[in-house]
Amino acid sequence: MIVASGAVGDSGSPQAPGALEAPALPPSPDPALTVPTPTPIRRGATSTWAPVRRTVLARARPEPDADAIARLETRTPEGTSNIVIVFGRRRDAAGRLWVQVRLPVLPNDRTAWVPRRALGGYEVVRTRLVVDLGALTATLLRDRRPVFRADIGVGQAAWPTPTGEFYIRNRLTNYDSAFYGPLAFGTSARSAVLTDWPDGGFVGIHGTNQPGLLPGRVSHGCIRMRNEDILELGRLMPIGTPVTVR
Amino acid sequence: MPIEPISDLTLDQLDRDGAIREALDGVSSRAGFLGKAFVGSAALLGALAAPRRAGAASPSDNAILNFALTLEYLQAAFYTETQRLGAIGAELARVPRQLGGVERAHVAALQDVLGRAAVKRPRFDFKGTTEDQVEFLRTAVAFEDLGAAAYKGQATRVDSPALLAAAVAIHSVEARHAAWMRYLAGFTPAGRAFDEGKPEFEVRRIVASTRFIVARPRTTRRRRPRFTG
Repeated sequence: MIVASGAVGDSGSPQAPGALEAPALPPSPDPALTVPTPTPIRRGATSTWAPVRRTVLARARPEPDADAIARLETRTPEGTSNIVIVFGRRRDAAGRLWVQVRLPVLPNDRTAWVPRRALGGYEVVRTRLVVDLGALTATLLRDRRPVFRADIGVGQAAWPTPTGEFYIRNRLTNYDSAFYGPLAFGTSARSAVLTDWPDGGFVGIHGTNQPGLLPGRVSHGCIRMRNEDILELGRLMPIGTPVTVR
Repeated sequence: MPIEPISDLTLDQLDRDGAIREALDGVSSRAGFLGKAFVGSAALLGALAAPRRAGAASPSDNAILNFALTLEYLQAAFYTETQRLGAIGAELARVPRQLGGVERAHVAALQDVLGRAAVKRPRFDFKGTTEDQVEFLRTAVAFEDLGAAAYKGQATRVDSPALLAAAVAIHSVEARHAAWMRYLAGFTPAGRAFDEGKPEFEVRRIVASTRFIVARPRTTRRRRPRFTG
């Protein structure tokens, strides 16, 4: 407690008991910025993805001697960072952290476990693409609300578009191909039929030079949409977006 | 899992998986340490802290603001990711929720005052520290101690009194966070009578050594697709 009874201030006049002994000081300037009231993070349907940082065997259980399901490389066939969607985590008996991931392998729709240290930093997306093979539509949801919908072309009976849970893993642009339109997204889905297709037979979502065929069952498994639609989707859909094909 | 009380945090304690130590192997000189082992992270941090355009504040003050903004991005991302993942114990759940809100508010305030001169948010890889209670607390102590020391280290370099008033207002919040995290982690919350600031290069070195700031993954290419079509 700072008390100076009967002190004299810098004006020389006596001060009341209880006042500070120190001379009066000029006021401080107003701060140059205003810190807003803290706000909570937005709730909603989010998914987490991460790049594969080092080549790793994905295993059936979170244990180093569990069966290997697939080998995850750091690069995709397109030369982009290979990414995986992350679900959960667990520690093994030795205390190592493992995370459960969705795999870009055949058979489709598989998950496995990899050591956390094999992955890079997490990224979060709030979007999900729903491909309806019956209605021949693609709908992009953000926080569970539709923000985009387009008619699509999907695989013919001989080359069906695979169903299940997948994700967007890269985006190809500025190429010279009218067939694929102006933009193509690569997904983790693979054709179960065209297994000898170059680069592994991955299913893409892309534009087309034959918009008159849409909607329809016209492709080798890829999801085609009109060029204006794929460009709009390109503005709305980030890498790592989960894709449900049903 | 109980937290072992320890007197002070070292890089070794943060470097549980040996990634930082691995980078230091074979590097003997300080020049080599900064020039080789951490050239990637240090360059990323350096580029982030370089002001793109002087705003209303002096160029020197803008640089300090962007330096502070980079640290606030780091803290905000750390707590936000921890809260989203929900992998630490329920008894600590309010920590990332509360501190994340404050650090995001600091980010918003610094971005607002910097305007277009604000550096962009970097990408982070917290290497599992947001998914483990012990690692989370140790890292939180390190971040909050570092944040308080970084603000203090720049205090005498600030040109604008109004900016200094703002920086001091944030600094004391960081110091409160540091004491809180220290208490939860089993450290002495307030064991010293005199705290020194840390100069910018030292803060950069410590942040770079964690390798928490990483390059953006390459997910877009100019290349003709070879999808099934």
